[in-house]
Amino acid sequence: MSSKAGWDSVTGIATLLFDGNLVAIAIAIIFTFGVPITLHLIFFQAVASPPSSNFLLLGPSGSGKTAFTTLLEAKSSPASKKSQTTHTSQRSTLVTVNLPPDVPTASNRYRSVNDPSLKEAARNPIKYRVRDTPGHGKLRVSQGLSELQAMAQSKDIKTRLRGIVFMVDTAALVDEVTLRDTATYLHDVLLVLQKRAKNGSSSKRTTEIPVLVAANKQDLFTALPPGSVKEKLEAEIDRIRKSKNKGLLDASADSTMYDDEEILGNDDQEAFSFKLLEHEVGVKVEVVGGAVKGDSQEEYGSGVRRWEEWVGMCLK
Amino acid sequence: MLEAFEILTTSGVVLWSKSYAPVGAHVINSLINDVFIEEKVVPSATGVSPAFKKEKYTLKWKRVKEFDLIFVAVYQSLLHLGWIDKLLENISTIFIDLYRDQVKGNRARIQNYRFDQYFEQQVRELEDNSGGFAEQYEAETEKKDPLVSSDNGGPPPPPVPGLVKAQPRAVLAGATSDEGTPPATPDTSRSSTPVKGHLLTAKAGPGGRVSRRARKAANSSANASSGDETSRKGKPAKAPAKKMRRWDASGMADEDDGEILDYSAPADEGEVTAPAVEAVSEGDMGRRTGKGQFVLKELGEEVQSILDQADADKAKSTESSGVLGSGFNAVGGFFRNIVGGKVLTESDLEKPLKAMEEHLLKKNVAREAAVRLCDGVKREMVGKKTGNFQSADAALQVAMESSLRNILTPTSSLDLLREINAVTAPTTKSQTPRPYVMSIVGVNGVGKSTNLSKICYFLLQNKYRVLVAACDTFRSGAVEQLRVHVDRLKELSVRENAGDVEIYQKGYGKDAANVAKDAVDYAAAQKFDVVLIDTAGRRHNDQRLMSSLEKFAKFANPDKIFMVGEALVGTDSVMQARNFNQAFGTGRNLDGFIISKCDTVGDMVGTLVSMVHATGIPIVFLGVGQHYGDLRGLSVPWAVSLLMK
Repeated sequence: MSSKAGWDSVTGIATLLFDGNLVAIAIAIIFTFGVPITLHLIFFQAVASPPSSNFLLLGPSGSGKTAFTTLLEAKSSPASKKSQTTHTSQRSTLVTVNLPPDVPTASNRYRSVNDPSLKEAARNPIKYRVRDTPGHGKLRVSQGLSELQAMAQSKDIKTRLRGIVFMVDTAALVDEVTLRDTATYLHDVLLVLQKRAKNGSSSKRTTEIPVLVAANKQDLFTALPPGSVKEKLEAEIDRIRKSKNKGLLDASADSTMYDDEEILGNDDQEAFSFKLLEHEVGVKVEVVGGAVKGDSQEEYGSGVRRWEEWVGMCLK
Repeated sequence: MLEAFEILTTSGVVLWSKSYAPVGAHVINSLINDVFIEEKVVPSATGVSPAFKKEKYTLKWKRVKEFDLIFVAVYQSLLHLGWIDKLLENISTIFIDLYRDQVKGNRARIQNYRFDQYFEQQVRELEDNSGGFAEQYEAETEKKDPLVSSDNGGPPPPPVPGLVKAQPRAVLAGATSDEGTPPATPDTSRSSTPVKGHLLTAKAGPGGRVSRRARKAANSSANASSGDETSRKGKPAKAPAKKMRRWDASGMADEDDGEILDYSAPADEGEVTAPAVEAVSEGDMGRRTGKGQFVLKELGEEVQSILDQADADKAKSTESSGVLGSGFNAVGGFFRNIVGGKVLTESDLEKPLKAMEEHLLKKNVAREAAVRLCDGVKREMVGKKTGNFQSADAALQVAMESSLRNILTPTSSLDLLREINAVTAPTTKSQTPRPYVMSIVGVNGVGKSTNLSKICYFLLQNKYRVLVAACDTFRSGAVEQLRVHVDRLKELSVRENAGDVEIYQKGYGKDAANVAKDAVDYAAAQKFDVVLIDTAGRRHNDQRLMSSLEKFAKFANPDKIFMVGEALVGTDSVMQARNFNQAFGTGRNLDGFIISKCDTVGDMVGTLVSMVHATGIPIVFLGVGQHYGDLRGLSVPWAVSLLMK
């Protein structure tokens, strides 16, 4: 036996391995235990499952969507540069950010401050994903609204949409043209949500997607307060709704499928308001003020605190 | 001088930027809007990288598709900086080489890129290398610069340094020394002036030193300056000096002669000592790098090696396309084409693009527009990877579709009724209500009056009071024709209990602009909501007829000028749209197109694309039939699906 066994020939090695040799047993043990563990380590690190809570960031160009995204990103990772300039976006991006531990989520809002489970949350902050979309008029439909449609219709739990943040530049809203543009975009967004709510109710209850109208740039002197922003948007959407009702048909209307041109809210002559929309359709709209920039005297990124609280309330 | 340099991603985040003078964010935003998104401005291709002019700045950029990065250099349009192309090229190569992993990673947007020193080094090197005449030219323009920019009264000019004193000096250091002294003796003047400044300020120092080193290498015979420098630099230079003194001491009687010879004419004796001094100082520099004082010397080498590497890679990639390489590529490419995941090259796209162009031409898209669309798609696709199980053709199809959608989608959606309401019944008290004026222009026989009547009918249904102004005072029968339309519309509106319509006419032979002005005044007095102005048809290449449009636009001052174009017209549509767009003088353009006779062309709706491509002005209405109700808005998905069918 020993004549054949040895490390110098192929048959020798084979014999050794099939023998009751201690080395062979050790190799086998290392192999059987090591391979699964290493594989697990490799793949677990590589394919860390992304957080399943998505938020969509919409709004006209120049309202501060990209700035808000980078701010959230910078806040959730230490040792990154703090002030960043941004330009007009050309494509949408998906970023994963952390919810600050001191922002309560919907599930633990009634917990005591001393609850030990909150400490756990502080050590392991909740992650969510934000999709930043370009707000330019040409890219709105192809990247913003189509994204919204895809995410809202999606059955996959991974891409479920928890909420929509609609950015508004409150300083520019005084201008008639900007207001019309902003309101038109918001109108289109709400229309998509309404269609979804109406279609979904017949088969099964779909979870509602709340909308936050983030009244940005409150730090500027000319900014309108959130209450006034709400009023202006409601009045403008009401006007748009009326004129849409009377407008021309599309060229596609008579050739292909006749898609019923819906209007926002119900057909009655009542003036449009976000409250009415929530009551009738179930789409919740909130207007909250904040500022992405201009928080010099306070802690970094404190201007978006209330938006983060809203995000926290949407998370389970 | 360079005003600013930015590295930004297509998602809109600035990764790294450097500005020598404040440049508003709107300058780069308008570059993105006009060139990348709307493709309104066709960039003028001067040199390697394209250029775009905004206000007083010229912007040059380079896109790196693989990393979704855009490198933008901003400088004053007055200057002709020949090295900007090279700078963009080098900076993009260096940046990507250094931060390849970071840019790909998920922290790319918030990473702190320490790129300043590399950039400074490149700017300095390129400025120095730009050659004698360029340098002189630069110096000249720099002198001019303060005068001109102070005249402009725009943003603060660069050479007036308020708070940012250190930065301009760092950059200008090389050039200013040139400026101050006559150009005949550049080397000596250089070495004498900057030395004091460099030794004092650590920041400005290294850059100047590198450039001087480069020059030293080029002309080592000019040792007067080099000896001067090294003696100032420090201890190692003192050793030869001591030797000299000992040598002096050996003979007291000869001392005078030797001394005089030594200082007055360093040429004969210095030749022996200078190389030794040079060698010592060089080694000294190498040793000192640890302190960070001479770090730029190393930086220069590093940068050079990166650039050389990039060049070598490029050369290799072009070389490898030999017989064997091409054969292997062909086989691999064939499989990749089926399975997907293939990186597209220009030759892959050539054939499908040709087919695509043919297809577009068949759809009645003007050749010019088709070529531009295909070029745009090619630019976008080259270097991209196809998806899984996606062939090059399919990828191209998708790209073309999105390109068409992009071109047809208006920048801001036009809600005509909403705009009319905003003017006739303003919400703010500062505005007084006035009639909304629309005018319609176009070539003869495209259906101006018909489409005007259709719009009129649409407005009447929405219960507006409409005044139709017959400003075709040229062709006989035009006014009567419009009167028939108005009579019928009146009849219809009475029957349908709709709005109210009237005609305003002054007969033939009058000046159209005056008639239009009178009509608007009349409408304001009579409290009409909308004025629709019909104009005479004119050939777009008849200068005499087109020139009267400018006066017309000034007198009537319409809120909207629509041009009617036939769907039947082919290649001519581009010139029609362009000429009409320019006919209203500076600052006034068309506001939209009405494409008539769409029902006669079936799916050959290429005219839509040609007209929008030529001007960037959206299509507002489509005429789809003979009846008053046959007016439609444009549906982009509908048009795209017809074009791609």
